[in-house]
Amino acid sequence: MVNQRVVTPEHLFFEAQREKQFITGSEAVREAIRRANVDLAVSYPITPQSESMHLVGDIYAEGYLKEYFRGESELAVMAEVAGASMGGVRVFTATGGPGTLRAFEMFPAWAGARLPIVCAFLTRGVNSPLSIQPDTIEMAFMLDTGILMFHAESAQDLYDMILKAFVIAERPDVHLPVGVFADGFFVTHTREQVAVAPADLKLPPYDPYAAPVPAMDMESAPVRQMRDPFVMKSNFISYAAHASWQQEILAAQERARKYVHRYLEGLVEVEHPEAAVLVMASGTMVSQSREAVAVARQQGLDIGLVKIKSLRPFPREEIKTLARQARTIIVPEYNRVGWLCREIKAAVEDTTKVVGGPRVFGGMTMPPEVVLDQIRRCCA
Amino acid sequence: MTASEYRVLPGPEGYLPPAAACMGVMLPEPGEALVEGKIVPEEDALQKIAEKLLAARNPVFFPGPLVLWAWREGVAEKAKAVVELVEAAGARIIPMPDYRPKYPMINPAVEINPNHPNLTIWHNRIDVGVFVGVHCHYANVALKIIRGGTDCYTIALCGEMGHEDAMITLRDVDAAKLRRLTEVVKTRAQARPARAAGAHERR
Amino acid sequence: MSESLFRISPGFEEVMPVEYRELVTNGPCGREVGVSDLGTFKELIEEHPLCAGCNMGLALRLILASLPKPEDTVIVGSTGCSSLAFTQVAVHNIHSLFGNQNAVASGLKRALRLRFPDKVKDVVVIAGDGATVDIGLDMVMQSWFRRERITTIMLDNEVYANTGGQESGMSPQGTVLNMAPLGKRFPKVALPEIAREAGCAYVATISPAQPKRLERMVRRAILTAREVGPTYVQIFCPCPTNFKFRPNEGLQKIKQRQKEGTFQVREYVSPEAQAFLAELEGADHEK
Ligand SMILES: Cc1ncc(C[n+]2csc(CCOP(=O)(O)OP(=O)(O)O)c2C)c(N)n1
Ligand code: SF4
Ligand SMILES: [Mg+2]
Repeated sequence: MVNQRVVTPEHLFFEAQREKQFITGSEAVREAIRRANVDLAVSYPITPQSESMHLVGDIYAEGYLKEYFRGESELAVMAEVAGASMGGVRVFTATGGPGTLRAFEMFPAWAGARLPIVCAFLTRGVNSPLSIQPDTIEMAFMLDTGILMFHAESAQDLYDMILKAFVIAERPDVHLPVGVFADGFFVTHTREQVAVAPADLKLPPYDPYAAPVPAMDMESAPVRQMRDPFVMKSNFISYAAHASWQQEILAAQERARKYVHRYLEGLVEVEHPEAAVLVMASGTMVSQSREAVAVARQQGLDIGLVKIKSLRPFPREEIKTLARQARTIIVPEYNRVGWLCREIKAAVEDTTKVVGGPRVFGGMTMPPEVVLDQIRRCCA
Repeated sequence: MTASEYRVLPGPEGYLPPAAACMGVMLPEPGEALVEGKIVPEEDALQKIAEKLLAARNPVFFPGPLVLWAWREGVAEKAKAVVELVEAAGARIIPMPDYRPKYPMINPAVEINPNHPNLTIWHNRIDVGVFVGVHCHYANVALKIIRGGTDCYTIALCGEMGHEDAMITLRDVDAAKLRRLTEVVKTRAQARPARAAGAHERR
Repeated sequence: MSESLFRISPGFEEVMPVEYRELVTNGPCGREVGVSDLGTFKELIEEHPLCAGCNMGLALRLILASLPKPEDTVIVGSTGCSSLAFTQVAVHNIHSLFGNQNAVASGLKRALRLRFPDKVKDVVVIAGDGATVDIGLDMVMQSWFRRERITTIMLDNEVYANTGGQESGMSPQGTVLNMAPLGKRFPKVALPEIAREAGCAYVATISPAQPKRLERMVRRAILTAREVGPTYVQIFCPCPTNFKFRPNEGLQKIKQRQKEGTFQVREYVSPEAQAFLAELEGADHEK
């Protein structure tokens, strides 16, 4: 193994001197994992994710991870990391698009089992017809699986969010899986300046004995322990136990808020909160919107921007408060269903303020002019 | 984030009450505790726990696997501190040896189970119940069920970060903190010896 | 195992329910007890909800009594009748999904090897025929291809029992079952042969009608998995409820099938496993 020094998360995130590297999003994944003290990673190819896990394989070969292998399908990969996580080690994997859907049954199972797995979802379209191009539709399906969800705007976000995801996921009061989502190609395959901590530093190791559930290692009490026991009889007692278990997953998501504030420095980032019209977006749509907002402001329009970084937990209160003083909220998206628009509508008091779209999908880019047109219409 | 108005009080709270965390109750930071949904200094919570234990008709401790089984170093010391606290409080012990659902085979007179803790509380008419050494997930599952369907006053002596669904929760509880609580209980019991002794006699 | 995983903390001995005290004072862990000692020690399985006369229940009891080192064994199960009994089993065990058991076990085994490089941690998969040969076959075979050091045990009742008696890949050809209203149209899957070709170092088929033989096979399989490679044991345990025979006729059914030649006790040992077992068992004899 490569010799690295364990430092506190706070040091790694906020204090260590950072160095700028001109790298792709896939390389940012590698740089995050290099410093994450991951024990085991499992990979499976799918464009646009594959390169990130090739690179994780490369640093395994260099001695930054203890174990790495290629699984046989996404469903199996997600089960393999689940088994390893129950065995008490820190794990990482990544997928996207059809891979996400192939593995789908595992995500609620991860959350229900309180597994602090970190998975990068490098999103793309889903069949049919087949598309490898950017599209965030898979995120619509993931919203209610119980996992925490962060959405990266850039390679810098991807690097930071992956590292921070481990720390948030493993808090004993949270102990839930975290999906770090980034838009395929737009983030994975483009190069930007990314500020990274020194490569000889890493996170403290995972402590399975602080977990809210016993590790499956025959070292921890109680010995008579099934992960996870059924409460499957047909009676009220069993239903109530299952219901309380599910509530506990929701509660754990709520507890994560505090750590998202601490480490991601808020669930949202706002520019010009006082504006009459607000664009609310996540992922790379924030970048497209930022350009449009800049032009619109130059032209004297009263417009602001809200970048949503955390989708689970969702910034309910933040958005409700912002929406109160705004006249109109524009929600541009990279998918056809408009899941972010739905989420925002569920949070605000007056849903008539929320204007869904523009939306593009199937790999189409979003020219800032298209967002600008919408801004102009809404400011008129 | 604002402090929650939601109060975590003994039930029965209803058919399926929400998790207190979803109502805005947040876990305490080090040095703090939660009493009925409000953050208080830890010392205040120690006093309140002692008061509740001594005033109880039938206080019962529910030690869980983390303290019942001497599975790693330090557990025996913590177990001893729990037993001393139980004695000082004039309470009883009903263990939670593991977490597998046992309904309907459970003998509620001798054990408690996180999947149906209400059965043990009803059966033994427990008015104050204390969780210690239970893995957080299972403690939370149980505490919600208890608050939903019983009038038991729940206290969680958590080794990690505490439990919103207990009426009182301490965090970072180790042997030293248990001994400190025992002292508080003893001091208060001396001020009102009749109560503690009374609880003993009724068994 | 943690030295004291089976030790009750001082001060709590008396309040512990009797079943736990017995597990501590008279359990199988750290002792040389096996199938022929059943009835003299506290078993690893408590009361379970399987049907009266369930051969799978019997098989499970025998498997648990055969574990060479229960105190360091983690079991991975799958959805099905057996999973209802697993909550009651006194070794760490995992239920994840229906069919993903060998993938979970692969990750688990590798994790335990990382955390405990100097200890033996046996990972044993125990799952139904549907879980193993149908929905989970991909992950079962892939774990063998990858030479994962785990033991896979199939509880072969030739049917999806837990969901009410549907045809499985292990049902014999011609059998009329739910979802096979005209009888199954293809033969029982030859998983032992597949296992051998897929890289298993040790493969055996057995039934609970021969408890001592079953014990020996389970032990050989688990010991071989430690040192040589993946292993597979297929346990024939016909289901009285779905095949509608009386609870006390189970063993008779097995014998009848043996006579017909439609169930055979078999053992395949790879040359490498043979060498390993010869050395191990030779050493045992000398003791
Ligand atoms: C993904 C999924 N598909 C189907 C089921 C329903 N299911 C549960 S158990 C079972 C049958 C199990 O059959 P087998 O593996 O042979 O075990 P047995 O019950 O016979 O012991 C099925 C189909 C499920 N739980 N999950
Ligand atoms: S249905 Fe069959 S296999 Fe399932 S428990 Fe009953 S007898 Fe056993
Ligand atoms: Mg079956």
